[in-house]
Amino acid sequence: MRRLLQTFTKGITRENPLMVLMIGLCATLAVSTQFQGAVFMGLAVIFVLTMSNTIISVFRRFIPVEVRIPMFIVVIASFVTIVDLVMKAFVPSVYAFLGIWIPLIVVNCIILGRAEAFAYHNGVLQSIADGLGMGVGYSLVIVLFAFVRELFGSGAVKFFGVTLLALPSWYAPPAVVLLFPGAFVLYGLYLAAWRRFVTRQGREGGECA
Amino acid sequence: MASSPARLVASVVVTCVVAAGGLAATYTVTAPRIAAQAREAEHAALAKVLPGAARFEPVSEQLLSRAQQAASAGTIEQVWRAMDGSGADAGWCVRVSARGYGGPVHMVIGLDRNGKVLGLTILSMNETPGLGTRVETEEWFLKQFTELPAGYGERDVKKLDAISGATRSSRAVKNCVTAAAQALAVIAGEEGR
Repeated sequence: MRRLLQTFTKGITRENPLMVLMIGLCATLAVSTQFQGAVFMGLAVIFVLTMSNTIISVFRRFIPVEVRIPMFIVVIASFVTIVDLVMKAFVPSVYAFLGIWIPLIVVNCIILGRAEAFAYHNGVLQSIADGLGMGVGYSLVIVLFAFVRELFGSGAVKFFGVTLLALPSWYAPPAVVLLFPGAFVLYGLYLAAWRRFVTRQGREGGECA
Repeated sequence: MASSPARLVASVVVTCVVAAGGLAATYTVTAPRIAAQAREAEHAALAKVLPGAARFEPVSEQLLSRAQQAASAGTIEQVWRAMDGSGADAGWCVRVSARGYGGPVHMVIGLDRNGKVLGLTILSMNETPGLGTRVETEEWFLKQFTELPAGYGERDVKKLDAISGATRSSRAVKNCVTAAAQALAVIAGEEGR
């Protein structure tokens, strides 16, 4: 039980895919302009990651090492397509925003990375914990990221039309926050904060080189 | 230890068959809802640009392809004849796209029987957030097209203002509106009204 919990929390803190492993960034920077979209992107990644980790771990003894990558991809692509169809059917407004980034979860390094590095070599429960942890770690960062970008980039954060938080009307939102340069600058600030307060790296000097 | 070729093939085939089965099941469940959502979105867009109309009927394929050839400014995707509750002509709706900065801008444009723009809306676009997307968020921009005279042409559209910093996105919207007029010139002429 303690090992499961450790596997789960390492995906959120010590091995957070976005803040420490630094994989899956492309989609993250692209869809984090809108809080609502980021929430659903996070949910989609949690679902795909947990399901693909589970399936690959269950069948890992039947997956020959020579063809493991194509088989991983088929499993991942299937779950992504399921998410794609379900989102299109039930939350079309979210799908209209996320668009191509949902199918592109197939090529997100996090999913294939966890299948190859973890699920293929570990038990089912451990793999589920790893998938959930990595997924939650990803979602947490992308949602926090999108919250700040939408707030300072468009002046208010909305969720299905309901305004969660708005800045006073004298604030003229600079477009750069919603563009890629703003995303990179903010990402750098998040990384610095994460290293300082969560993983506590680089305090001795040298380590951060 | 290497696996035998037969085992490699069998593993991949079995995976693919199971995956295909799962996807077929998901598709069967979601397809009707996706189709319904698409129809609903289309109907909502049509009703928004022509609030007075109750029914929309696509024009014939032949007429559509003639209109497509005539519309040099953009790509005509569909043209509907709109009717009000009593079945009388209420105008036309044109779904059209033109190239913007980040890809095609898809619009629906509603025109009355004389070719005056009554309403227009952007269905989808991939313009830069905060710059190009202002063609949708700055209300005056789309509104100015409804002030075009009946039977307007490319030259009238060109005179309208663009949004600074969003030149190519503005041009895409203008091209859509021009293409709608070009298509309508053919269709309305053909129908003899």
